[in-house]
Amino acid sequence: MALTSPAGRRGGKLSRRLSAALWFLLPFVLLAAVWVVIVEVTEVEMRIFPQITDVAGAFGELWSSGELFTHVGASLRRVVLGVIAAILTGIPFGILLGSSRWVAAFFAPLLRFSVALAGIAWIPLATLWLGYGERAVIFIVWNAMFFALAYNTMLGVQRIPTQLLRAARSMGTPRARMFTEVLLPGALPNIVTGLRVGLGYGWRGLVAAEIIAASAGVGYSIFLAQKFFRTDVIIAFMIVIGVLWLITDRAVLAPLERRTVERWGMKAVTA
Amino acid sequence: MSTLEIKNLHKEYVDAYTGETVTAVGDVSFSVDRGEFVSILGPSGCGKTTVLNVVAGFDKLTSGSVEVGGKPVTAPSPERGVVFQSFALFPWKTVLGNVAFGLRMRGVPRREREPVARQYLELVGLEGFERKFPHELSGGMQQRLGVARVLANEPEVMLMDEPFASVDAQTRRKLQEDLTDIFQAKRPTVFFVTHDVDEAVFLSDRVVVLSSRPSTVAEIVTVPLERPRNWRSVLENPDFRHTVTHLTDLLAGGRAHGEEQAERLSGRVDSSSEPPVRADAGGES
Ligand SMILES: Nc1ncnc2c1ncn2[C@@H]1O[C@H](COP(=O)(O)OP(=O)(O)OP(=O)(O)O)[C@@H](O)[C@H]1O
Ligand SMILES: [Mg+2]
Repeated sequence: MALTSPAGRRGGKLSRRLSAALWFLLPFVLLAAVWVVIVEVTEVEMRIFPQITDVAGAFGELWSSGELFTHVGASLRRVVLGVIAAILTGIPFGILLGSSRWVAAFFAPLLRFSVALAGIAWIPLATLWLGYGERAVIFIVWNAMFFALAYNTMLGVQRIPTQLLRAARSMGTPRARMFTEVLLPGALPNIVTGLRVGLGYGWRGLVAAEIIAASAGVGYSIFLAQKFFRTDVIIAFMIVIGVLWLITDRAVLAPLERRTVERWGMKAVTA
Repeated sequence: MSTLEIKNLHKEYVDAYTGETVTAVGDVSFSVDRGEFVSILGPSGCGKTTVLNVVAGFDKLTSGSVEVGGKPVTAPSPERGVVFQSFALFPWKTVLGNVAFGLRMRGVPRREREPVARQYLELVGLEGFERKFPHELSGGMQQRLGVARVLANEPEVMLMDEPFASVDAQTRRKLQEDLTDIFQAKRPTVFFVTHDVDEAVFLSDRVVVLSSRPSTVAEIVTVPLERPRNWRSVLENPDFRHTVTHLTDLLAGGRAHGEEQAERLSGRVDSSSEPPVRADAGGES
């Protein structure tokens, strides 16, 4: 289990869930407390760092004016499109790389070279090619995620035991069906890792790209708020980004992992 | 006509790092008849696995010929099912999904393949575990599943490479008995690789003994035991012990030792302390 806490070992399912949630929240509560105390003690100016209540106020404002939903909606739409594009291209490409030693030998150095450049470094070119706007931002999300996903998928295919491939071949699996029947499920532990890492890159790429190439979205909002010294709005959106990421992880990736890799006893170490 | 026919099989590997040529199999010929259980026995590294891999179609032979059902082997095929030492079950498929895999790959519709799969699970004693995943089974149960998965395809020959080497001794005995029972019931053609002499004799109709590298067939020994067999009665059978002793002698020290012993039995060599060099030289004359 991803979250076994000392308190989570006894009691019923409900109370176990409850205590797991509490353990999950505890570090955040502590962080908030430290924040309140430090701002209180140092009496730092609001334009440098706001008090937690200011951030809460800003958040309430954004909520009631509907701005929050406009920007989060715009960002989510880009992330979803970019991620779908990355999944549709990165996983097949990674499987292709993993299933041929020659193709892998040819592309692996390029891939490793590209991981450092993925995402943000492409923003200038992306805006030149695709103009300022939607398409450039989605391109950056895709690009940020693609290399990590392809690389991890390749590793996953390469670590499928030879005997498993041989077993499938000797039971009459046609070559084309090897991809879906063996390579894809066999590589899934690493594909999940690739999705985790890649989604992280994707979100970061999104924020950076929105700062430069968009007129809506969470990244754009942070940038705009900075011009008006609205640190409360900046922090509010930073928290929103973090929470969106946590929700993606816990509502999409973790259940996917539980239902596949963990259920099949293939769980590798994950972050 | 024999189901599996191996003639002058020779296999060389080129070492990827040194570029040297390694002879894995020297010159091996033997055949397995329909419904026969044949084991191949030999010292470690003599090329047993290589022979099996060539028969399975995983490796290409350098020279010679391998035919199954009169057709030369070129690639893996469901006609030659393989039971692996590492089990090689699909972790993402249920027990039922694993057994039905081969049928599904060959386009057998679900309605037809499920009863067949269930029938073979029952044969290996895994009924009731259909919905489990392989990692939820014990090692012994996993290998039963490995056997069922192959038999469900009704192959011309079932190939087994030390299938029981990674389970504990007690489970191994049980699996060996269950395998003879299955063999008794279904009469598949089996080609079995092992380096366990007792196992080879207990299971087989004939045992092919390979010499150490470059390997040739040292002898093909027919096992004089009735079927059905079980360990209790086989262990008390003098024929079993004779065959085991004979095979052990053949394996011990390879060729030189075997000949030394033959000479000793024929009284030509003083048995006290013959240096190996002399024994070898004597063998060549
Ligand atoms: N892919 C390969 N490349 C190079 N050499 C190989 C390869 N596979 C096997 N060999 C060599 O061929 C010889 C025979 O190997 P093989 O695995 O067939 O022996 P074996 O009789 O099965 O041994 P064991 O009883 O230990 O399983 C060995 O010397 C081995 O090093
Ligand atoms: Mg071997």
